Amino acid sequence: MEDRKTKYYPPNWATKWFLWFCHADFAEDILGDLEEEYQFHEPAVSKLMADFWFVRQVAGMMRPSLIKPFLPFLKLNNKLDMIKNYIKIGLRNLTKYKVSTAINLLGLSTGMAAFILIALFVKDELSYDRNHEHADEIFRITIKNFSGDGETLSRHWAFASAGHGPRIKEDFPEVTHATRFFPWAFPDVIYGDKRLPGEQVVFADPDVFDIFTFPFLQGNKESAFSNETSMVISEDAAIRIFGNDWREQDIVGKNVKIEARGAGLSLQITGVMENMPRQQHFHFDYLAPFAIYENFVNNPDAINNVTGNYNYLTYVRLNDAEAATAVEAGGDTFFDKHIADIRGVKAHNYYGLALQPLTNIHLTSNISGEIENNGSLSQVVIFSVIGILLIVVACINYMNLATSRYTRRMKEIGVRKSIGASRGSLISQFLTESVILTLISFPLAVGLATIALPSVNAFMDKQLSINFLQDFGLFLSVFGLLALVAMLAGIYPAIYLSGLDTIRSLKGESTFRTGKVNFRSVLVTFQYVVTIAIIFSLAVLNAQMGFIFNSDPGFDKESVLDVSLSNDIYGKKDAFRNELLANQNIIHATFVSRIPTGNLLDSQGASIFLGDSLTPVNFRLPYIVADENFITTYGIEMAAGNDFERYMDSDSIGYFIVNEAAAKAMGFPSAEDAINRSMNYGGTDGKIIGVMKDFHFESLHSEIGPMIMVKNDNYRRISLKINPVNLSETIAFVEQTWAKFDQKNTINYNFVDESFENQYQGEERLSTMFKAFAVLAVLISCLGMLGMVTFIVERKTKEIGIRKVLGAKSPHIVWLVSQNFIWLISVSALVALPIGYYFMSGWLDTFAYQVTISPVLFVVPILAVVLITLLTILYRTIKAVYINPVKYLRSE
Amino acid sequence: MNNYQLGEFEEVVLLTVAILNDDAYGVNIKQEIEMRMKRKVSTGAMQTALRRMEAKGYLASEFGEATAVRGGKRKRYFKITPFGVKALEHYKETRMSLWDAIPGAVFDLKVSGR
Repeated sequence: MEDRKTKYYPPNWATKWFLWFCHADFAEDILGDLEEEYQFHEPAVSKLMADFWFVRQVAGMMRPSLIKPFLPFLKLNNKLDMIKNYIKIGLRNLTKYKVSTAINLLGLSTGMAAFILIALFVKDELSYDRNHEHADEIFRITIKNFSGDGETLSRHWAFASAGHGPRIKEDFPEVTHATRFFPWAFPDVIYGDKRLPGEQVVFADPDVFDIFTFPFLQGNKESAFSNETSMVISEDAAIRIFGNDWREQDIVGKNVKIEARGAGLSLQITGVMENMPRQQHFHFDYLAPFAIYENFVNNPDAINNVTGNYNYLTYVRLNDAEAATAVEAGGDTFFDKHIADIRGVKAHNYYGLALQPLTNIHLTSNISGEIENNGSLSQVVIFSVIGILLIVVACINYMNLATSRYTRRMKEIGVRKSIGASRGSLISQFLTESVILTLISFPLAVGLATIALPSVNAFMDKQLSINFLQDFGLFLSVFGLLALVAMLAGIYPAIYLSGLDTIRSLKGESTFRTGKVNFRSVLVTFQYVVTIAIIFSLAVLNAQMGFIFNSDPGFDKESVLDVSLSNDIYGKKDAFRNELLANQNIIHATFVSRIPTGNLLDSQGASIFLGDSLTPVNFRLPYIVADENFITTYGIEMAAGNDFERYMDSDSIGYFIVNEAAAKAMGFPSAEDAINRSMNYGGTDGKIIGVMKDFHFESLHSEIGPMIMVKNDNYRRISLKINPVNLSETIAFVEQTWAKFDQKNTINYNFVDESFENQYQGEERLSTMFKAFAVLAVLISCLGMLGMVTFIVERKTKEIGIRKVLGAKSPHIVWLVSQNFIWLISVSALVALPIGYYFMSGWLDTFAYQVTISPVLFVVPILAVVLITLLTILYRTIKAVYINPVKYLRSE
Repeated sequence: MNNYQLGEFEEVVLLTVAILNDDAYGVNIKQEIEMRMKRKVSTGAMQTALRRMEAKGYLASEFGEATAVRGGKRKRYFKITPFGVKALEHYKETRMSLWDAIPGAVFDLKVSGR
């Protein structure tokens, strides 16, 4: 075949395309063939057709045996060999520098363990109440009480009145469903000859199953409340009543009896629900139709009440989550419609509606009468921050230690570079080391976390678990954490060390800038900031807790026993008290409605005669009911006037004792002026007979406000001042006496000083957990400091040697090493203390009575840090100082 | 026993290369096959067959000299190797033995059936 002259050219792009994919060995001749053949086509047909032919031929060439080998696959093989090498070298380095490996492992694994625990806790806290299908549309109705001006909040109740739920559903078209929960009377549940005393049977409206998603194990939500004697029970309750084999017993349709206050009722079990998940802000085991309770009470007024008796946990489901604001805004009209004007003022000046989104209740709601202890958002935030800080500090440790090893590895890096290692492969080498270390520390971290988990659970009252198989999300996030830690810790040393100057590093010269400000100093400063801020916060926390426990609450809380009265005892309470007082170890006994360390009862309408006119009291004036022994039992001091007396019970007029705050708020210049003033409280006319000195009825979170003590016989409990000497005998006596008067109910008592401390349980918990994590953070920081000091001392060995030869004394040399740190600490303190102060004063603001942040609290963290640093420096420099300088000078 | 793996098309290409002797390069081979076998040949399929047979050792190749024609691109001349010849012979023999094994009656039947 003779060659033809090339006259025509195929499309350029097709040629390029062909060259792009075709194997280089074949490209030239195949392309030549194609172009040659192209010439046959061109003259015969149009150029377009020839081009089309060419392109088709090129496309036909895309066959596995003709195209280029896929590059990444080829490179991978090479990479795998390199990675094997990285791992080998990495492991060698880790075993060679045992101390820094140990420090790093310790830091990373404790940091990660703490992080895992905190993550579990935070995840658990954030997952509350999200298991309901309509969670976003469910709101809790809470009631605000105002002091008659529509603004001053006197109390915010988590519960509503009986009438609120149904009426709100009626009045607001946005509200599609409403239910009340009312745990009434704690009846005994009886099945056959089995009797479960005091079960929490909760009465709810039929809407309950359309609002909340309670999955049924047996029965279904449609038939759950099919008639007025239905009852749905949880799996737990089923086990309690019918035993572990309840599933075999066909229990749906069986009748159980509930019995309370002498009345009994037979209810038919219509369904068994799954136990309510732990991450829910209420837990009920028995749900029965509200109608049962309505029929039982048979008092329309009580059932339709909208003005108090806040005992009905009320939830609504809206047609749209956005409608909540509209419903809240409609609250004014709602109250004005259903409640007549109060003392000439529209009702909305006294009452307000607030709708809480279901999913926010656990973390953000902490109002009067929460059904269970709620979590706290600030706690979640604080722990999250600490968790992240711990990880960051551990990573910084790694960075510091890895870079501080540079003197030992300079030659290695130089040799690698001169042989031809690219910067990329050096970076891979260092990253591999951090990955190996992270991978080793991970099982350690999980082990540590698993060991610590039971105590964390017990302490935080949680049931967290580490189960990677069941919780794939946890697995993924931990994996992400690992990758993040390895990158975070490894990337800086990798970039830093790979950037060393080849020739100088081979010569053994330092190629680092010796200036004061570099990235490493920033890292160390950050560690110091964290350490100082944490120690400072801890100091403030401790000071405030000490302040609370040592401050005088204004009443005597030691050896006072508080016993709640049952209905049986209430009927013969005087006999009960007299019987108790017969024991010599019981010094005083007083009947009260509420005890100090609890909440005061709600404010009632009050007015007082000032001069000749009756002036309404326009501030919140909550009350307690107490008898004539209250003041002596609790050791409260009187500012003026007299205590109650016995006869006042049966008197037709009221007798009141107010506290100094109330007297002052009423406008009396001194306590004496308030005595014998006439006043009206809660509809009872009477006079003030005494003024007591202020004492902390409620916790130190709130300021001592005005309060009033009234005398009637609506008591709920008895407080006993007992002799601490024969404590257990006395308690046994109280229990016996109780059993004599009431055989049905068991006694329920607690010590007032314990309840006093329980008021600050949240803070106690916070402070203990905080302490644990703070110790960890400081420990990890110290490890990092050790690494940093080692680095500096190593860098300065020659300088130290020369100085020693020239006659420098040891203190000078210590100072030489320390000065850099002192400088860093000062900068850190300047940053850390304001931050710490900002956060801690925010926390202190939750207390009405706060410890003043004294200068000592600022100095302590700095001193602590300086001391730790100096000790570390001493430990490291002593070696450098006492070695013969010749040893490290002669090598040059 | 059978070490020679050759597809039908590969066999055709291999035979064509043998026919063309010293002048076997892409365009020529293609035209030769198209002419003799009276069928269209896809360049891609043919090139694939050539490269695969080269990899198997049935063919060897070398570049010709660069010429101004073909845009200066060299031709690749293919040559059958002794191994390739052996393979062809093997295939021919097996075919023949198959032909020989057919009983005469088969074709007779066909003829008579017409």
